Amino acid sequence: MILQAENLEKHYGGKNNLTKALNGVSFRVAAGEFLGVMGASGSGKTTLLNCVSTIDSVTSGRILIGGRDVTAMSGKTLARFRRETLGFIFQDFNLLDTLTGFENIALALTILRRPAQAIKGQVRDVAAVLGITDVLPKFPYQMSGGQRQRVAAARAIVTKPALVLADEPTGALDSQAARALLESFQELVRTRGATILMVTHDAFSASYCHRILFIRDGRVFRELARGNESRKVFFDQIIEVVSLLGGDGHDLR
Amino acid sequence: MTSADLALRNVRKSARDYAVYFMTLTFGICIFYVFNSLGSQQAVMDLSSAQSMTMRMLNSVVGSFSLFISVVLCFLIIYANGFLIKRRKKEFGVYLTLGMERERVSRILIWETVFMSLASLVAGLLLGIALAQGMAFVTASLLGVKISGFHFIFSAAAIGKTVVYFGLAFVLNLFFNVRQIGKQQLIDLIYAGRQNETSRAPRPLLAVLFFLLALILLGITYVMAAARLFDSALLLNFMLLVGAAGTFLFFFSLSGFLLAAVQRSKPYLRGLNMFVLRQLSSKINTTFVSMTIVCLMLFVSICALSSGLGMARGIAAELRGSAPYDATLILRAETEDGNERPVFAPGALDPALTRSGGADLTAFAAASRTAVFYDASDTGVVIEGPGGEKPALYLLGLTDYNAALAMQGAAPLVLGPDEYGVNFGSGSAGWDRALTKYCAGGGSLTLGGRDLRTRESLLRRQALEVSTRRNPDLVLVVPDELLAGRQAKKEILFINYSGSSLEYERLCLAALSEIKTASADGVELSGLIETKIQVNDYLGNTTVTIAYLAIYVGVVFLVASATVLAIGQLSEASDNTHRYRLLNKIGADERMLSRALFTQNLICFGAPLLLALAHSAVGIAVAGQITRKIAGIDISGTSAAAALVMTLIYGGYFLATYWSSRNMVVRG
Ligand SMILES: Nc1ncnc2c1ncn2[C@@H]1O[C@H](COP(=O)(O)OP(=O)(O)O)[C@@H](O)[C@H]1O
Ligand SMILES: [Mg+2]
Repeated sequence: MILQAENLEKHYGGKNNLTKALNGVSFRVAAGEFLGVMGASGSGKTTLLNCVSTIDSVTSGRILIGGRDVTAMSGKTLARFRRETLGFIFQDFNLLDTLTGFENIALALTILRRPAQAIKGQVRDVAAVLGITDVLPKFPYQMSGGQRQRVAAARAIVTKPALVLADEPTGALDSQAARALLESFQELVRTRGATILMVTHDAFSASYCHRILFIRDGRVFRELARGNESRKVFFDQIIEVVSLLGGDGHDLR
Repeated sequence: MTSADLALRNVRKSARDYAVYFMTLTFGICIFYVFNSLGSQQAVMDLSSAQSMTMRMLNSVVGSFSLFISVVLCFLIIYANGFLIKRRKKEFGVYLTLGMERERVSRILIWETVFMSLASLVAGLLLGIALAQGMAFVTASLLGVKISGFHFIFSAAAIGKTVVYFGLAFVLNLFFNVRQIGKQQLIDLIYAGRQNETSRAPRPLLAVLFFLLALILLGITYVMAAARLFDSALLLNFMLLVGAAGTFLFFFSLSGFLLAAVQRSKPYLRGLNMFVLRQLSSKINTTFVSMTIVCLMLFVSICALSSGLGMARGIAAELRGSAPYDATLILRAETEDGNERPVFAPGALDPALTRSGGADLTAFAAASRTAVFYDASDTGVVIEGPGGEKPALYLLGLTDYNAALAMQGAAPLVLGPDEYGVNFGSGSAGWDRALTKYCAGGGSLTLGGRDLRTRESLLRRQALEVSTRRNPDLVLVVPDELLAGRQAKKEILFINYSGSSLEYERLCLAALSEIKTASADGVELSGLIETKIQVNDYLGNTTVTIAYLAIYVGVVFLVASATVLAIGQLSEASDNTHRYRLLNKIGADERMLSRALFTQNLICFGAPLLLALAHSAVGIAVAGQITRKIAGIDISGTSAAAALVMTLIYGGYFLATYWSSRNMVVRG
């Protein structure tokens, strides 16, 4: 198991306006798995991801990543753990606009103080897998949204992290760019053995995952595994659960 | 809610944004008041007439400089305010979208500026009034007078002047503000924060070329300065223009050059280095202008501080040695208009003393003596000082010379047979070398058919007259008998008072002017009366004026440049918080972020300082040669001290900026 979350609780606010953003969430992710997290807006997806990614701290519960309890880590160890073990892809503001594509990806490696001569090759390898070799010398404002997101993905996995965390990575993309990104995620899982935890509000994106966790009111509401079904069938199954989730039906953001 | 209420709330709300602006204003007002109130300080001191003349002179010099200083401060206010407006654009955009009229938004802005200006005016004046009390003690000690008891120093005139000058600056600033908001499109205001600053930095290869060009231009300037190729106004303007262009190009291409130089090397791919460099080069279109301005302001500051303080100290050191007696009266064999008089009988003073009859030197003098200096033009002796300088050359009899030395309490000169001595009353190192070389060479001299020689141990550096000017004569001391029949050129009467009362000075001045008039009876001679007290007053006068002016100009420019940099860096830090947060998310820890910030600040503060130091090293070296030649003053020693003090102040600003931007970015 790469990730074990046990009974996570996260409370916001004080006594009289307490929000239980997470209310006893438990799940596991195996190495090489592509796990999706779905839920209505405000159901606690981002909170869950932030807690797992050590950006936020839990109120109670345990999170084991690669066997180490991250809830017990403090300041300096956390930053180190984060850069060595985790990779991040955010929905927005994810690239540094002053750096080229190459430099944005290389940054993850230089922060780890990897030897300079190895960096170029590693960046080129990842770029090839994600199909962004052409945009490496470009600045983010010269790239399309999909290219930007794939550069962000490349930065997240170039360090070969044990776990990649993505919060609505397709949220700002059109369907074609979203498809390209998701296919490259699959490619990463297949060829590089990456483990990905992806939050999404969109059934189409979710259908690329191996398994989906549905969250409602801070709890795991349902779990759905793709097994050997085709992506089309899996998509229909997801739509079914989504309608059970309630809310405004289709807009689950 | 009225516009004024809203404005007041805004000022409180954006206190942090306003802090730098407020500090800049307060500081400027404070300094301006302190220096313009110098005149009122004399009220609390017991000053001699010469000293109060010093204060009047100081006051008027500072007054005329203040116009120039206020232009600098005005620029600073507009600059600081421009940053503030840039940061508030979005807020104004929101007001406009909510349907507020442009006039109302402008009114809010006007009120905000008025509040800030009033607050900083009051704070600056209060601080200035407090500082002026301390300044009075510094002035008093520089002038060597005591302040008895505590007096509150307050100058209504200086307050009025400060209010008028800064009032004008505020109105000008207001005008710029309102215009800036007025001409903006709503869409620009709303998206102000998100506008991607398109980099105007030159492409890497071009940057390298520009950088080399900058170095060439600066090289030309330095060589021209060192070779003193700026005699004509045209050449001087050309040199300054080339220097300024070189400085500008230097900063324009600096980050591009660094990027090009480092990009292919290993350190570029280490830690956050490439982030820092990219950060610098992306900001280039706002920073290179301010860096150029900062560099030139620092240059002015360093030059003002070091040459000003250096000259003040140099004058003090040099002049102290040139008052070896309480008073001297010098008679020269030339008329007032400088024409040489052919006839000048040796001992001109003695008959004058007799003729004046009533002039009783014993009433005030403990000792007095005359010495006669003879023509040396036919000796063929040529001694060149540093820079080809040739001072007046005289022959003096050994008896007169030793008598003059005895009155100073110096050991007498002993000449062997066929020997002569050399005296030059200046401690200048260049002259020392020239004379030592001359004496060591023997310097043969033929006088009255006798061959004389000298040696190193016969070289003396004794001042022989009380004088405020630094152009001592070169004197060859020879046996008395060789001077018979020679033409006298100059005669000096040395006087030491019997005590230190000012009454002796008065008596002496009266007696000497009587003697001077009497000696001119029938024979037209030029006479010069100088007393130690006069020289010291003049010394205080010049020292205090130059030192204060140097500090005034130097400190204003120094802090102005540091403020420009601090504002730039702080505003950039707050613009960059999201970038640093992102770096933190992908695993850069606090230490790495702090280091990146530190490097960024260090380059922004360090680059202009380094170039300014290089500029000033050349500038001061040249200025030093000139002052040494004109006034015989060596400014290189204090220059180093001034540079050190300056670096401390500037370094303080740098650290403060680094710490507060770290607080914003890393902790925030
Ligand atoms: N910093 C916060 N302070 C208070 N409440 C918060 C905070 N962040 C999130 N919440 C609340 O926690 C719940 C879950 O939020 P979030 O995890 O962002 O939802 P999702 O990403 O699924 O839309 C919401 O009700 C939200 O209002
Ligand atoms: Mg969310």
